[in-house]
Amino acid sequence: MAGEVGSGDEPSELSVPVPDHEDPRPAPLGLRARISLSFAVGGLLVSVVLAGATLVLTRRQLIDSRESAAAAVAVSNATRLSNQLTHDATIEDLPAIADSLTKIEGIQRLIRLGDSWLPTPELDSEDLPRLLLDQLAQREAGQQRSSLSGQTHLVVGIPLTAFDADYFAVVDLADVEDTLGNLQIVLFGASIFATLIAAVFGAWVSQRTLRPLRRVRSAAEAIAGGRLDTRLEPQSDPDLDRLADSFNEMARALEERILRDARFASDVSHELRSPLTTLKASVGVLEARREELSDRSQTALTLLSDDLERFTRLVVDLLEISGYDAGAAALDLSEVQVLQFLSATTRGIGPIPLHMPPHSENLMIRADKRRLARLISNLLDNADRYGGGATSIVVENDGPNLRIAVEDGGPGIPEAERAAIFERFSRGSAGGRRGGDSGTGLGLSLVIEDARLHKGRVWVEERPDGLSGARFVVELPADTEDEL
Amino acid sequence: MSKNILIVEDDERIRTAVRLVLEEEGYAVVETESGEAALEVFAPSPSDVVLIDIMLPGIDGFEVCRRIRRLSEVPIIMVTARDDSHDIVAGLEAGADDYLSKPFDPKVLSARIRALLRRSRPSETAHAHLVIDQLELLADEGTVRVAGKQVHLTHTEFRLLVELASDPNKVFSREDLLEAVWDYGYLGDGRLVDVHVRRLRTKIEPDPANPRYVITVRGMGYKLQT
Repeated sequence: MAGEVGSGDEPSELSVPVPDHEDPRPAPLGLRARISLSFAVGGLLVSVVLAGATLVLTRRQLIDSRESAAAAVAVSNATRLSNQLTHDATIEDLPAIADSLTKIEGIQRLIRLGDSWLPTPELDSEDLPRLLLDQLAQREAGQQRSSLSGQTHLVVGIPLTAFDADYFAVVDLADVEDTLGNLQIVLFGASIFATLIAAVFGAWVSQRTLRPLRRVRSAAEAIAGGRLDTRLEPQSDPDLDRLADSFNEMARALEERILRDARFASDVSHELRSPLTTLKASVGVLEARREELSDRSQTALTLLSDDLERFTRLVVDLLEISGYDAGAAALDLSEVQVLQFLSATTRGIGPIPLHMPPHSENLMIRADKRRLARLISNLLDNADRYGGGATSIVVENDGPNLRIAVEDGGPGIPEAERAAIFERFSRGSAGGRRGGDSGTGLGLSLVIEDARLHKGRVWVEERPDGLSGARFVVELPADTEDEL
Repeated sequence: MSKNILIVEDDERIRTAVRLVLEEEGYAVVETESGEAALEVFAPSPSDVVLIDIMLPGIDGFEVCRRIRRLSEVPIIMVTARDDSHDIVAGLEAGADDYLSKPFDPKVLSARIRALLRRSRPSETAHAHLVIDQLELLADEGTVRVAGKQVHLTHTEFRLLVELASDPNKVFSREDLLEAVWDYGYLGDGRLVDVHVRRLRTKIEPDPANPRYVITVRGMGYKLQT
């Protein structure tokens, strides 16, 4: 298993200067959408309640009036029928009598006399609801709504108490149902319209309400993007004005702090580099005149020279890392020809076998040449220090990624230490035992930072050929999108 | 006669140590501690190379560089105390030929000065006299004319143009040019080339934004177009 560090897919606070404020909770709806939705739901509820109430009331009103009218006519007709009927009347006499009764459009009548029925052209006794017939058998008047041949009808039954006869009026309610159906469609349409209006209104209101928040967002983005002097204008709304005040106060403190840090880093950098320049130049003069010195002085000069070299590297690496920490590191990308680049980087360390993939004479990568060179030479340096020197450099090209692996023939890195060796000032157990170690302890940390800045990653693993040794792999995206 | 080097550096210790290094190499060194003093010294007796620290009291290193450029095409090395890309590019745009970051290796300083003083022309200049359109290059005389009028190029700008002119229409990579003009290896700083090409264009191109002669070939480098 590889002890992987500096992966490109983990959030890197160094290479991504704008922090990600996304809410991890599963609440994908934004504030604006939620406000619009609330308005829409509110509009829907109100319009549904209103439409429902309208429908129910209208229905009751229409049917009640129709029912009472029908009942009145039925009662009067039953009375007249009762008056005209004689005890010896038969079913044959009925049509003549029935013709004299009041007729109303949409009302049909059926009459029972003994066991006989006077049907209508459309209805006969079979169509009448059984419950009502039973009720009339008890000589009680009644009415019932019933579905006859698919249409809603009201059936009014009145027993003619003086005879063994019943009078039935069947009222067609289809036109009422039609009216109610139309009304239902209109109300449904109106509800949808009202809901849409409410949603649009909600969107408008939320946009107006959130406009100041959008300004806050733009200002925050501007600050994150480096325009530290961005401020919000005073707001007319007192609540928002307090927000603007706090925001501006935060921005001012942030600006002050960043500028102070930058000034400090610049001062430190200058204060450290200046004496080192003097030291290096002076030691250079002594080195040029080395043979004039006594043996003891020469030994002292060697110590001075070596430690000055190491101290210089430490300072330069530290300044570089602090530049990364401050987010000030920027890539200077150009087309780098991998073969030429690696040959140039390994020049002066002696021959190291370089394994390129087939047909890769012109393999190019967009990279910051200086940083990539430092990355490779830090890996070579590390191999030199802890692995007895690099045994080979292997380049692999798998489409989206380019991998450069530096292998050594040392003891390898135990799995438990593979992440830790990339930490600042940490040295593996093998390294810790060594005397005269001239590393700065920052090389591998810089390797990670350099790889991260290229959106790549670094890890260490075993050598694939099974021999003892470590294999440091840097993986870089073969194609970075930034422009030259 | 030994070459004359002017050091502009406000830190007395660095100034002294660098003077010792350069005297060791056989150069005659003049030290000044400010830009104003440097200009007073330079105007009457120009040096062969000028070494300018960017952070100076009074007028800063960039301004000293610009003012010296108005007087002379002398090779200038900027010394920065920061590895800041802005500083480096600004220094080169102010007219510096090369830069060094503190703390620099004294051997590197000597090598840089030697490279800048190299008087020899790039080998085998195929075109001692080259005319493209309005541009006229007389490599042996060291002069360049545009539309018949002589333009003043710095030593490095001239060498860059001569290198490109050694094979017109051939694309030179930034690394090729770094090696030929600055004596840097493959790992040299490509910004040196980019800024010098920009400076060259402002001097020889009729419209530097839409170059006629020195053309950028994306991802490849630069060429001199006939």
